[in-house]
Amino acid sequence: MAQNLNSKENKAKLILTIFFALLALIWVYPVLLVLINSFKVNTYVKTNTFSFPVGEMFAGFQNFLKGMTFGNYPFIKSALYSFLITIGSTVLILLCTAMTGWYIARVDDKFCRLIYLICVFSMVVPFQMVMFTLSKTADVLKLNTPWTIPVIYLGFGAGLAIFMFVGFVKGVPKEIEEAAAIDGCGPVRTFFSIVLPILKPTLISVGILEIMWIWNDYLLPYLVLDRTKFMTIPIHIQYLKGSYGTVDLGATMALILMSIIPVIIFYLSCQKYIIKGVAAGAVKG
Amino acid sequence: MKKLLVVLLIAVLALTTVFAGGGSEKSSSSAKGSVYWLNFKPESDETLQKLAALYTEKTGVPVKVVTAASGTYNETLTAEMDKSSAPTLFVVGNKAAADTWGDYCYDLTGTSVANELNTDAYNIYTADGKLASIGYCYECFGIIVNEELLEKAGYKISDIKDFASLKAIAEDIHKRQYDLEFDAFTSSGMDGSSSWRFSGHLANAALYYESRDAGFWGATPAEIKGTYLKNFKNLWDLYINNSGYDPVSLATGGFDAEAEFGRKEAVFYQNGNWEYDALVNKYGLDPAKLKMIPFYCGVAGEEKAGLNCGTENCWAVNAKASDADIQATLDFMYWMVTDPEATALLASTFGSIPYKKAAVPENVFLAQANEYANKGCYTMTWEFNYTPNVDNWRAGVVSAMNQYDAARTDANWALVENAFVQGWATQYKLANI
Amino acid sequence: MSKHSSGAKRLKNESIMKKPMKRWSPLFIGPTLVAFVIGFIWPFIRGFGLSFTKFRTTSDAKFLGFGHLFDNYVNAFKDPSFLHAFWYTALFTIVSVILINVLAFAVAYALTQKIKGSNLFRTVFFMPNLIGGIVLGYIWSMIFDGVLSHMNTSILLETKYGFWGLIVLLCWQQIGYMMIIYIAGLQAVPEDMLEAARIDGATKWQTLTKVTIPNVMPSITICTFLTLSNGFKLFDQNLALTGGQPFNFKADGSVVKTTEMLALNIYNTFYGQNTSARGTAQAKAVLFFILVAALGLIQLSYTRKREVEQ
Repeated sequence: MAQNLNSKENKAKLILTIFFALLALIWVYPVLLVLINSFKVNTYVKTNTFSFPVGEMFAGFQNFLKGMTFGNYPFIKSALYSFLITIGSTVLILLCTAMTGWYIARVDDKFCRLIYLICVFSMVVPFQMVMFTLSKTADVLKLNTPWTIPVIYLGFGAGLAIFMFVGFVKGVPKEIEEAAAIDGCGPVRTFFSIVLPILKPTLISVGILEIMWIWNDYLLPYLVLDRTKFMTIPIHIQYLKGSYGTVDLGATMALILMSIIPVIIFYLSCQKYIIKGVAAGAVKG
Repeated sequence: MKKLLVVLLIAVLALTTVFAGGGSEKSSSSAKGSVYWLNFKPESDETLQKLAALYTEKTGVPVKVVTAASGTYNETLTAEMDKSSAPTLFVVGNKAAADTWGDYCYDLTGTSVANELNTDAYNIYTADGKLASIGYCYECFGIIVNEELLEKAGYKISDIKDFASLKAIAEDIHKRQYDLEFDAFTSSGMDGSSSWRFSGHLANAALYYESRDAGFWGATPAEIKGTYLKNFKNLWDLYINNSGYDPVSLATGGFDAEAEFGRKEAVFYQNGNWEYDALVNKYGLDPAKLKMIPFYCGVAGEEKAGLNCGTENCWAVNAKASDADIQATLDFMYWMVTDPEATALLASTFGSIPYKKAAVPENVFLAQANEYANKGCYTMTWEFNYTPNVDNWRAGVVSAMNQYDAARTDANWALVENAFVQGWATQYKLANI
Repeated sequence: MSKHSSGAKRLKNESIMKKPMKRWSPLFIGPTLVAFVIGFIWPFIRGFGLSFTKFRTTSDAKFLGFGHLFDNYVNAFKDPSFLHAFWYTALFTIVSVILINVLAFAVAYALTQKIKGSNLFRTVFFMPNLIGGIVLGYIWSMIFDGVLSHMNTSILLETKYGFWGLIVLLCWQQIGYMMIIYIAGLQAVPEDMLEAARIDGATKWQTLTKVTIPNVMPSITICTFLTLSNGFKLFDQNLALTGGQPFNFKADGSVVKTTEMLALNIYNTFYGQNTSARGTAQAKAVLFFILVAALGLIQLSYTRKREVEQ
């Protein structure tokens, strides 16, 4: 009877596997559609969305070529700025908030508690609350370029990062650090040679959350960046929709595909960390 | 992990150095002043970029042209005006905008560029008499006809005299589309790239006649009656029922009416003189066979109608910019309307430029507009320039027209009327709190 | 270890750590603090202040005066499009919270039943999270219109399509995320409790409702609040998918964008053409902040309480 139950359970599991395989196909289908339509002649994207680009519908790499220079702004420039902003901001956030988080957790005086409180508070403030004044502030202080905007990201995004670092540091016994201090190791060295390695898992979690946020962020860079010079990928794609004569759906899909590819590569290569990071971030946040 | 961090850091540094090169150029000639032109017409962006590059090459004064995505000019202007490097040259195309941005407008009275004007018809003044903006071109629009195709279908341009004859011809061509291998009208896409042709330009058919009945508005009326909306509907129904595209599909757009017309797939195409360059040079249509006809929409006496002529292309100079920038901007404007090369470039895209030394465009549509006027036809002036909160009002009209296109019932047309009439009153109230 | 470093010795050690750290505080908290003031504190205070002024650009703000202190707030409540956006957002959020959580939990539960390929499925389901809201909007608007154009309509034409379209989009994006959290929760359910239930002869359903669900309550709380605040703050997807279309015309001529959510409504009020409404927009933003903050603080106190209980 036990065997019978087992085979029944196995059968159920097999059905479940098949069901999920189908569901997974449905899940990747939208991305496949982008791929298909990026090779399709513009006029067929709307009328024949779901068919393969064969015969007269096939556009070759025409859409990609067109997309690169769409709207008098080279797509490659937007992509580079996106990379620059994402990496620069993430590195800056990790470095600064890890230090701050450690300091707050260890010193733990009134001032620290106040900062911590404001951090928690900032996590629940929606961007709309500060967007108008933030874009003004950023403009006055010249924080409106891809190489200075990380300061804004640090300011607006510090809350969650500090929250996570403080939470993690509090769970770490401080004996090692104390021992180092007794041995005459200064706080800076202690931080970089002892604390930072211990913080590694949280660094990865925070880093991944920040990368996912900043890479896809639209409104903040749109309002903050000097829009006469800089675009990021999301801004570029939104800009295409509303301008420059006819919306070329084929070329738009080509650009969307090009903007998804780096994300998918990033995801597949750091998948383990990403999923862990998300779980950790959520449990803390 | 450490390695990863090092790699990332190096990447950031490398990128920063690469881009820093681009970032450091700008501070070179601040003493001379610089020009920042916020343009509102995506279709003219390319020409303006050329113009800016040309001027910088000749004088060394940096000129930056930025074009707002269509339908977002006001949004962009608002955001940009709050910045430290605000636009020095921007567009104040109608009275409502002059009221809103009046205190940002430099008084252009007596400036060298204003002295070059050959007409004051396109000047816009603020309430306190300041010359807020001056036109830099005037344009005409109507229904562009491909005469070659029209003749193939067995008709002459002179057969179209009023709405009834236009309708008969269009419906006949539509009926024979498979034999003729072309249709009557191009697609009337309603996405942001094309809807302004209808919510803005076609709407002038209704707005012009109402304004004329009122002895011409002169200022934005608090409300409109929509007396001529049935005429607007006449033309709209004609457009959407006599083209190769299902009206229902218009809402999402994605069409390219210009290309359809260029590929000789349709006889009629509602647009303006700015299309001339593309139709002739990009699609190789014969300029002698391009005709623009007025909006015949079933109004009594419309046999005497002419084309829609006017402008919303008016320059205003930011009074809050630095003196050097204001001077640089005025110099740039003066150069644009007097330099032979610059005026030629402007004339090729914009059509007529109302300045004494400006080049005369080869644009056949403008010549036709003058012909109509010389024959004693009445010019339909751009009464849609009075629209309050124009982007919002048009968005409302477009949405209602989409509903109507999806199911062409009287109830749905009532939505369009509501968007027109009530929408106007509401936007007027909102704009005049 | 902890025993031997207690009492007086501990105190001494703390001062060994703290004093030098405080000396280095400009390095440790300085940069973050400066950025924090620039990027958050100052804009927040200034934004709050602006909600009591009439302004077109931040440099020409004029205080409304004490008699009219709350004019902007009154105008916000008088704006039918704002009220509509509020109810629409609330309805949308409730539906999306329920759907996303039920589906994500179901998927997570099935995937933790040791079926073949569960790692692959997890990877696939999470993938849409990495795609940005704007891009998501355009992908799905292509798909929906590809289908709806055959039915002679469009996502821009009917509110119900816009509503359910956005729900589908959000499910596709967020189920994977919530699933990850649920899987983490499910894996933490003590094996011996499940074993005990099985020995006691509990059915699968009983085990699920009596043992599993109570044990993953923390995950459920987190996911509920996450989806709740995601729903309320939704902007990019809303902008890219429908942008508020179709519009609805009230008898008084005012326009309600039927699929416009709160964040988009505030944005449109800010940057719309009607420059006299900018103060109202800032007032709306403050109200929006209070709403979202209240939700967030309820969550925090919830989590706090749970931590204390543990």
